[in-house]
Amino acid sequence: MSPLIRFDRVTVISREKTILSDISFSLYPGQKAAVCGKSGSGKSTMLKTLLGLHVIKQGTVYFQEKPLTPASVHSIRSCSAYIGQEPVLAAESVRDALLVPFQFKTHREHRPTEAQLIEVLQRLQLPADILSQNSNRISGGEKQRIALARGLLLGKKLYLLDEVTSALDAKSKHAVFDVFSDPQLTVVSVAHDPEWLERCGLVFELEAGRLTQVRRNGNT
Amino acid sequence: METLDIELPRMALLYGLCLLPCLLLWLLGLRMNRDIGISILRMSIQLALVGIYLKMLFELNRPWLNGLWILMMLVVADFSILRRAGLKARYFALATFTAIASSILFSTGYLVILVIQPTHYYDARYIVPLAGMILGNCLQGNVIALERFYSALRRNENEYTTFLMLGATRWEAVRPYFRDAVKAALNPTIAGMATMGLVSLPGMMTGQILGGSEPWLAVKYQIAIMICIFTGNAIAAVVNLKLSLNSAFNAFDVLKDEVFVKH
Repeated sequence: MSPLIRFDRVTVISREKTILSDISFSLYPGQKAAVCGKSGSGKSTMLKTLLGLHVIKQGTVYFQEKPLTPASVHSIRSCSAYIGQEPVLAAESVRDALLVPFQFKTHREHRPTEAQLIEVLQRLQLPADILSQNSNRISGGEKQRIALARGLLLGKKLYLLDEVTSALDAKSKHAVFDVFSDPQLTVVSVAHDPEWLERCGLVFELEAGRLTQVRRNGNT
Repeated sequence: METLDIELPRMALLYGLCLLPCLLLWLLGLRMNRDIGISILRMSIQLALVGIYLKMLFELNRPWLNGLWILMMLVVADFSILRRAGLKARYFALATFTAIASSILFSTGYLVILVIQPTHYYDARYIVPLAGMILGNCLQGNVIALERFYSALRRNENEYTTFLMLGATRWEAVRPYFRDAVKAALNPTIAGMATMGLVSLPGMMTGQILGGSEPWLAVKYQIAIMICIFTGNAIAAVVNLKLSLNSAFNAFDVLKDEVFVKH
């Protein structure tokens, strides 16, 4: 089986500062990986580099063994969901936020039904009446789960999570764990939560932009 | 009906009027006399130079000379727009020039050739002031459009990136900011048309009336220029923003940091 993601000696420089230095690793479909390190060690940059949001100075990023280029970036973005600490919902109500992607040409034909919206919310321990709530009035943890629900509705297979568990209570954290126990889904997450790290098959340690250690937990 | 000339002694009397506000400001403890003096001097010299140039332009009335004058106005406007919008000319000068040149040529051409129909379409008396008025308004509109669009995009970079991640093309992802910027650029013109004649008498109409025109003729010209300003402004803002997208993003649709002037 070929890797889903492969970083081959990747160096990223932004504003004359080296953010990632000579990073190499492979991640296979269905694997769950966590990236650890102090703040400023390049964890978020690693996730965003895969999505073409940072200019690669040296090395190559491969997605499904195809190099990341301006021509291929759209297919990578369409397979992945990036969920940050404070996700942008980009609509007034939660329902509209979930439907944002379906106003774009690529997804216009696949607008989900009300039942599908409720089903995905339930999987993430969110009540159905949250649909009519104002996006600005919901908590950070709820926003993260709405963003996650949006990824699930789009059938995304790769999830890039940036400190997602930090804003979740125990119950919703387990709901998120359950969603990602699906062997079809590949996850790369920036995380410090011990419980989360335990569930990740691979743990990358970053220090000042360098990959210093790769731990395998052996459960994937 | 000839407009009465203001002879030199009476011009001096006119400048004397400034002494009154200067005295008032001085009594208030505002030491602005130097700035006021410089501004009045600059206005006088600049307008005198324009007067000399326009007199020559009107007397010679050659198509190439009139065209050259309009070209110069366009180039100055181009750099002025980008400087005020905080964008680097190296990346956007061509886009802005193309946008304002096409909109000015189209709206002035439409007005002069199809509507006013003078004996010579290149008549300096028509094309120079009309193109100048349309361009002056386009300048304001384009500064607002570019400044609004790019500052909104920078402020909402996470939102823009979220749209890209959710399957939007670059165009789909920038569209909300694009619409807001065009709206902001056109609002002053639309509001200006709605209150025209109620709040104040428009400059061109006043000028024509003082110049001896019939009020009805002045009204028709004022309507003509307002419609052309609105048209020119709308075309320039939309074309300028659309063309600027080609230089503002990298191949991965990420907004380039180096296109902004650093403060």
